[in-house]
Amino acid sequence: MRRRDERGHSWTNRGVERAVIRIVRRLSPGFARRPISRKTRLHQDLGWDEYYPLRVVRPIRATLHVSLDDHLVLRLRTVGDLVACVWNAMEVPA
Amino acid sequence: MTRVLGPFVLAALAATAARAQQADSEPRWELLVGHSYSSARALMQPATLTLEKVQGSPLYSVLDVGALVRGSVTARSWIETGLRARTGSARPSGQQVFGAMARVFGELDPVLVAVGGEYQANGGFDVHALDATAELTPLGGLPGLGTWVSPALHLRWRPWIGTAVGDGVRPYVRLSADWVQGRLEAGIEETAWLVAGSGRSFVKGDISFQLVGGLSVTASGESGRSPPTWERTGRIGLGLGFRLAP
Repeated sequence: MRRRDERGHSWTNRGVERAVIRIVRRLSPGFARRPISRKTRLHQDLGWDEYYPLRVVRPIRATLHVSLDDHLVLRLRTVGDLVACVWNAMEVPA
Repeated sequence: MTRVLGPFVLAALAATAARAQQADSEPRWELLVGHSYSSARALMQPATLTLEKVQGSPLYSVLDVGALVRGSVTARSWIETGLRARTGSARPSGQQVFGAMARVFGELDPVLVAVGGEYQANGGFDVHALDATAELTPLGGLPGLGTWVSPALHLRWRPWIGTAVGDGVRPYVRLSADWVQGRLEAGIEETAWLVAGSGRSFVKGDISFQLVGGLSVTASGESGRSPPTWERTGRIGLGLGFRLAP
């Protein structure tokens, strides 16, 4: 199944996952060689503090063309939560 | 008049926020309980109930607790409103602090901005302070700022710079840092104010060992002068900590 971002680009769930993991990896210095998966916890595994997850908002808007609610981002716990958040924000084609 | 109206102004702020939230079809409020609400770091500290023994005095209790309710206002902003208390039998009323605040955050990557109001009073409610505050922090970009320094070194820090306007203008800076290793956590937070041309500072720290759930054994300490009384205080204690966060 594919979905569309706000600019009409088509994405698979796997494609969204890969793009999100690239963004998370870029924001996690020192984790370049560590595996990051959907199960990776933002706070416990990557050490992000309360406000650090907000750094994903801008690159996700630029790359995946999806606008995320800041308060929703603050409540994310895992990379998988972020993938689901982006995927759910995309449009299901008619 | 300002002193009397302080809590009501904050309650009105919170009520306004609640009405704004009700317009959202998806309720997204959350409750967080921690040591204080003064910063991200403070929120992650546990609420503590400590027993202290001071030479020549009986065993005393010290309670530090704060609670926050947080919800979204717009897509790019959210509000926090909460209460806190620094009390217990070990603190004379002059050193006890009760407070309430409402604060709206806006993310303007690469910084986070917070604007709010805070009411503070001492234990006897004979010293009051009602302040408007504005502060900001960079979201990240330097080693250890908001995220661990490295996978091997679980140390992170966050700076805040701000101004409180109430009975005068008080610029301040706050620096917090925390370190995590397994069930062991340690944190320190220092705030420095410029008050009427002179500097004042307050530092607090804790070391916690997580037992189960949000419960921990916590050693905590503090030193310096903090609002609203600016009395010099210092203590070290050992007790139980509790933290509730989603």
